Amino acid sequence: MREILQRAIANKQKALSEFDSKSVIKLAGIPVSRNYLAKSREEAIAYAQKIGFPVVLKGCSDTLTHKTELGMVKLKLKTEEEVARAYDEITSKGVPLDGVLVQEWLDGDNREFVLGTIRDPQFGPCVMFGLGGVFTEALQDVSFRVAPITELDAYEMMDELRTKKLLGPFRGSPAVDRESLAKALVGLSELVSKYDEIAEVDINPVIIDGNKPVAVDALIVLRQ
Amino acid sequence: MLDSLFNPKSVAVVGASEIPFKWGTYISSNILDGKFKGRYYPVNPNIKEVFGYNTYPSLLDLPEAVDVVFVTTPAKTVMQILQDCITKGIKNIVMITSGFSETGAEGIQMEKEIITIAKNHGLNIVGPNTMGIVNTHCSLYATGAITRPKPGGISIIAQSGNLGYQIMEWAESEDIGIAKFVGSGNEAVLKIEDYLKYFNGDSQTKVILMYVEGVDDGRVFIEVAKETSLHKPIIALKAGRTEVGSKAAASHTGAMAGSFSIFKGVMQQTGIVFAESPRELLTLSAAFDSFPLPKGNKVGIITLGGGWGVVTADECAERGLSIPQLPHSIKYELDKRLPPFWSRENPVDLVGQPDFQLFKDAVEMMVAHQDFDAVIVLGIVGSKVFAHRAAEAVYNLGKMQKSVFDDFKKLLYIHQKEFLDRLIELMNQYKKPILPVSLSKMPGDETVHSDGGNYKVVIYDSPEEAVLCLSKMYQYHNYVEKRSRVYA
Repeated sequence: MREILQRAIANKQKALSEFDSKSVIKLAGIPVSRNYLAKSREEAIAYAQKIGFPVVLKGCSDTLTHKTELGMVKLKLKTEEEVARAYDEITSKGVPLDGVLVQEWLDGDNREFVLGTIRDPQFGPCVMFGLGGVFTEALQDVSFRVAPITELDAYEMMDELRTKKLLGPFRGSPAVDRESLAKALVGLSELVSKYDEIAEVDINPVIIDGNKPVAVDALIVLRQ
Repeated sequence: MLDSLFNPKSVAVVGASEIPFKWGTYISSNILDGKFKGRYYPVNPNIKEVFGYNTYPSLLDLPEAVDVVFVTTPAKTVMQILQDCITKGIKNIVMITSGFSETGAEGIQMEKEIITIAKNHGLNIVGPNTMGIVNTHCSLYATGAITRPKPGGISIIAQSGNLGYQIMEWAESEDIGIAKFVGSGNEAVLKIEDYLKYFNGDSQTKVILMYVEGVDDGRVFIEVAKETSLHKPIIALKAGRTEVGSKAAASHTGAMAGSFSIFKGVMQQTGIVFAESPRELLTLSAAFDSFPLPKGNKVGIITLGGGWGVVTADECAERGLSIPQLPHSIKYELDKRLPPFWSRENPVDLVGQPDFQLFKDAVEMMVAHQDFDAVIVLGIVGSKVFAHRAAEAVYNLGKMQKSVFDDFKKLLYIHQKEFLDRLIELMNQYKKPILPVSLSKMPGDETVHSDGGNYKVVIYDSPEEAVLCLSKMYQYHNYVEKRSRVYA
């Protein structure tokens, strides 16, 4: 993990790419959707076959922001042809990329959460849990704790949300696996306590696959 | 370590004066008029005496090394005074003087020098730029603003003197007891966490009330707050909930106000009970100081009228308290005492019968039952106002003799007192809180009823106030209970 961070710092990166960010948070104990970094169209197709269709393709680089707006995200690709076409489109935008991320497609159930960390000037690294997806900023239904946190703290963070009903059985979906979320929050808190190199982590959205939380996007911002 | 600061046997005031509206006068007159139980020495080279006490030209001339020195002279005199304290062997200094880090670069530099001196010589310095300190238990009222709440269990740490003053004024007028007060000022040396640590170990402090704008070392604050709240409840108001508020806080004492959402997380994490307003700070603190903590969230409600019970039940539900069904045994007992149309459910509506004995019995049935962790009683307290005014109208119209009216008033007073005494007995017996909400109050009516024992009864003006207090006490109990299970 330290390797990934130090390589990025040596490269004078401001952030980690999505692929590297996910690798780091996965090591920290956060469930992440399966993904591979393809360097060629053939590799992309091979990875898609390995994961099983449908898949998602995303342009991947540490400098890439607003990838959806740039047309760098191709959802729910069902065949080899669709993967090949998506690969070509993403790589033809003239934006320098590390490669193309081939990621498993998860249906989810519309419930989206956000996990994150920041460094507060008074309290140091803090962990956040809240309502994710497009409503994160509008509703600001989030809870903070100063790291390191215990599992008890993590459960209390979940109970603090105004929309905590979403964590229970909801419109035909089962209750979210709170234990898995608690472990993810504790893992995240240990990660930022241990690695001073990390300024912020933003994992949004975390979707619910069956009852399991899975991170489908992640960004780690480095300290300058 | 701070005991001689808060429990001094002797104090000196540098800059003591008797000219009205000077800081040296405020502090001296408050100490003397407040009947401080220790020795007082005025220090001032320019005058002979202060309120009949001979002055001393400097600290060095005092007959003893006093426990605490109050400094009210201008900032430029402070360094010499600190030197004198060191020479004399004085350890505790309350620096009322302003003109330090809150004023700009020069002030910041002077404050740094104070910090260095304090560190090198082990001085405890409150402030600078502080309102002062209070310890009601030794009648030390040494704040610039004169307010004299009676002795009690609530100790106050205020990062704003005005706010602390206002809270003590409320406490005084509402008969809420205060143990100690400190205006922490610029916190150059002693910081909010030092006072927390001291109050945690102080046997006279039952509840800690805090007004916070910012903390210097967040990590230390968290450790101390966590440790403290496992033993004593901390009730806090954090300034800067909105961005406008935050800016005001930053320019106020030079303390940097952290973002509110993070501080809120800190409070959750450390078990600090948070208040939304200065008023609420005192209301919550008084509740924690008076009642036993509820061990669960099940509330029994007894009411003089139906609507009030429903409103209270709504408040409970919204604040995470539950209103369980009325147990059969209680239904059975009350069937014998009430007309057949009574509600037979919780809230128990005693259908407008202002019968003290009935209320006492109903309260006992509820509080004794395992299905309830707390009881709220609506309206029997304060019903004396209703009866008083009804009798008064007849008396005014000449149809009641004065002696009869006077006896009636006395009787009403005795009934209410006996009822409140009974609530305290029941709380002692069952270790569950019983919160009365008053139907009405008259001037001079008490807001806190005490028999001098461990528990007191706060009489609430509204059901929402009672429910708020109960819900916060339950949350705090829950916090401590969960942690002691984990760490046991």
